[in-house]
Amino acid sequence: MTECLLCNQPLLDTPSWKSVLSIEEPPLICATCHQQFEKNDKKDVDTVIDQVTSLYTYNEAMQTYLHQFKFLQDVALAAVFKKDLRKVLGKSAARSKATVVPIPMHPERETARTFAHVEELLKSADINYTDVLEKIHLESMGTKTKTERLNMERLFQVKSNQVIQPKTYILVDDIYTTGTTLRRAATLLKEAGATRVEAVTLIRAK
Amino acid sequence: MTTTIHPAVQRFLAGRIWLRAHTPFPLPLINEQITLGHIQTIPGITSTLTPLKNQKHFCNRCENDNPIRFTTFDCAKCNGPCTYCRHCLKMGRVSTCTDLIYWSGEAPTYSQTHTMAWAGQLTPSQQKASHELLASTKQGKAHLLYAVCGAGKTEILFEPIYQLLSEGKRICLAAPRVDVILELEPRLRAAFPSTVIDALYGGAEPITEAAQLILATTHQLYRFQEAFDVIFVDEADAFPYTADETLQRAVRKAAKPMAPIHAVTATPSADLLQARRKSEAVSVLNRRYHGHALPVPRYEPLWRYSQQIQKGRLPQKLIHWVNTQLEKQQPFLLFFHSIALMKAVEPLFQQLHPQIFAVHAADENRKEIVQKLRDKKVPGLLTTTILERGITIPNVQVAVVGAEQQIFTKGALIQIGGRVGRSVVHPTGDFVLFHHGISYAMDDAKNEIQKLNKGGRIR
Repeated sequence: MTECLLCNQPLLDTPSWKSVLSIEEPPLICATCHQQFEKNDKKDVDTVIDQVTSLYTYNEAMQTYLHQFKFLQDVALAAVFKKDLRKVLGKSAARSKATVVPIPMHPERETARTFAHVEELLKSADINYTDVLEKIHLESMGTKTKTERLNMERLFQVKSNQVIQPKTYILVDDIYTTGTTLRRAATLLKEAGATRVEAVTLIRAK
Repeated sequence: MTTTIHPAVQRFLAGRIWLRAHTPFPLPLINEQITLGHIQTIPGITSTLTPLKNQKHFCNRCENDNPIRFTTFDCAKCNGPCTYCRHCLKMGRVSTCTDLIYWSGEAPTYSQTHTMAWAGQLTPSQQKASHELLASTKQGKAHLLYAVCGAGKTEILFEPIYQLLSEGKRICLAAPRVDVILELEPRLRAAFPSTVIDALYGGAEPITEAAQLILATTHQLYRFQEAFDVIFVDEADAFPYTADETLQRAVRKAAKPMAPIHAVTATPSADLLQARRKSEAVSVLNRRYHGHALPVPRYEPLWRYSQQIQKGRLPQKLIHWVNTQLEKQQPFLLFFHSIALMKAVEPLFQQLHPQIFAVHAADENRKEIVQKLRDKKVPGLLTTTILERGITIPNVQVAVVGAEQQIFTKGALIQIGGRVGRSVVHPTGDFVLFHHGISYAMDDAKNEIQKLNKGGRIR
C-alpha cells in the first residue's frame, strides 16, 4: 500500500498492463492532488535566452508544494514532476546534444537546506546534467526588488574545471519570476562561447 | 565554568523532545546546557538492519516505524545517505543527522497553590463520576468517563484537575481535534485563573513558561516525553486518534511511566468500554446535566439528493427546513459527507440567505466562522464531520444530509445529535436525518439514544 506524497491518502492500486510490464511507473500523487496543479501554456520570449519552457503556473497548490519541498525540506517531493521534466528535457536534450545545466545554489545554502533542489528534480527524473556553473553570492533573488536584481554585479561564474563548448545549453531552475537569474546565467554561457541557451523551469510565476 | 541550570530552558524543555536547532533559545545557550549535562541529545532517526539486511527506521520523535513514511537521500550536510521521517515532517524535519534534545537535569517543580474559580454546582451523578475519576487517578488506574453529549463532562474534570494541580502534578488534557481544544481553552482558563496553562495545536507558539496544565491536540504530544502525571484524552474515540496508532503511542510516551491515561467520551468503542468495565474504572452518565432527554433523530427521506444537487437544484425539503430555521431565527448546522457535495450546494443555499457558509477541515478561519454562528452574525453553516463534537451553540438545530453515507457511523450520528438542546434555556431542538435509504448506523444511533433516554444500562 502506498500513499499520496502530498495528502497521505492511500493510493488505490489499479494495475494496468503498462505498470505490470514496468513500462509505466506507479503514480506518486493522487488524482485529486494532481488536478490542483495548473499547466502553463504561455511562452516567454526573451532577448538572451533562445527559448523558455515553463511547465506549470504558480497557484496555491504549487505554493504549498514548493513550501513543503524547499522549506520543510521534503526531498521526496522532487519526484512528483519527474515525468513532465523528462518529457521536455529527455527528448530535446538528446536530440540537440544539448547540455543540461541546473542553476546552482551557494554551497552554504545547500548545506543549510541539506540538498540542492534543482539538482534533486533532475536526479529523480533520471536526467543527465552537468554542474557547469557555481554561485558566488549568498543572497537569494526572492528578497530583492527588480532594480536591485539587475544591479547585482555577478551572480554566477563558470567552474574552473569546465570549458564551454560552442553548442546548446539548457538551463534548469525551479521557478521563473522576472527571468533575471536565468538571463544572467545565459549571458555568462554565451559570453563563454555557447551558441544557444534554452531554459526549462518547473513553474512560471504570474 | 559553572554548573548552573538555565531556568527558562529547564522550564521549557522539561518533558519535551525537541529539535536541537529549533528551540526558542539561542543555540550557544542550548549547547552550554548540553555540555553541563542538563540536556541529552539523541539522533533523530535510529536505523537498524533486519535479518534480511533491510534497513528499518524509527523516528525518535513521533515513534513512526512505517517504512513508506521514510525517505533516504544524499545529504549535503552530513555527506552521506540520510533518512528523514515524513510522518512528523510538518513539525520540522527530523533526519539521521539532526539532533533531538530532552531535559535530563533536575526536574522543575510546579506550583501547589491554585484557585478554582468555577462556581457551578455539579449534579449528584456528576459528583459521583468526579469522585470515581479522582479515586482511579490516585490508584494509577486508567478510567473511562462515559457520559452522553451535554452531560457536563468538562465540569466533571474540574475537581480532579484542581486536586492534582494542588499536589504539584503536571496534567495534560488532550483531544484529537483542534476544535475541541479551542472550545476547552477559554473554559479552563476561566476555571483556573492562577494556573500556568498552555494550549498547543498546529500553528500555536508554545510559551516558555513552565505550563503545569497543557491543553493539546494529540498530534502535539509527539513532542513530549515522560512529561505528565495524568493525561485526560477528551473525545477519545474521535478520528484520527483511533485510526492512527502513532497518536496513541504519542499519548503513552507523553505520560510518565506509571501515569494513568483517562478517556472521556460520549461514544466509546466496545473494546474500550469492555476493558474499563473489567477493571471497574468506568463512570457512566446517561442524563444531560439539565435532566432533559437527548434529542431523538427523525428520519426524512431525500431520494436521489445527489443527482438533484448535481443538476443545480436544491431538494424542496432542504429549502423548507432551512427557511423554517431562518424564519424562527434559530442557528443551524447542516452536515455533509463530502466537501465536494458541500461546495456544490453552498451557492444554492446562498440564494436562500447570502450569509450561509461552508466550513471544512482546511478552513483556516474555522474558529472565527463558528464564533460568528454563536454570535448570530451568520444564520447557519454547512459543515463536514469536523464540527461533529466539542461545539456548543445555544439553540442550534441540526440536519444531516445523506445520513446513510458510511462516514456517518453510529458514533458520529450520536455526536452530531449531541449538538442539539445543550443549554438549559433551549433543552430541545430538531435533529433530522435526511437520507437516501436507512443505514444500520442510523438505526443503531437512534436505538442507543432511546435506550439512554429510558435510563437503561448501555450496551
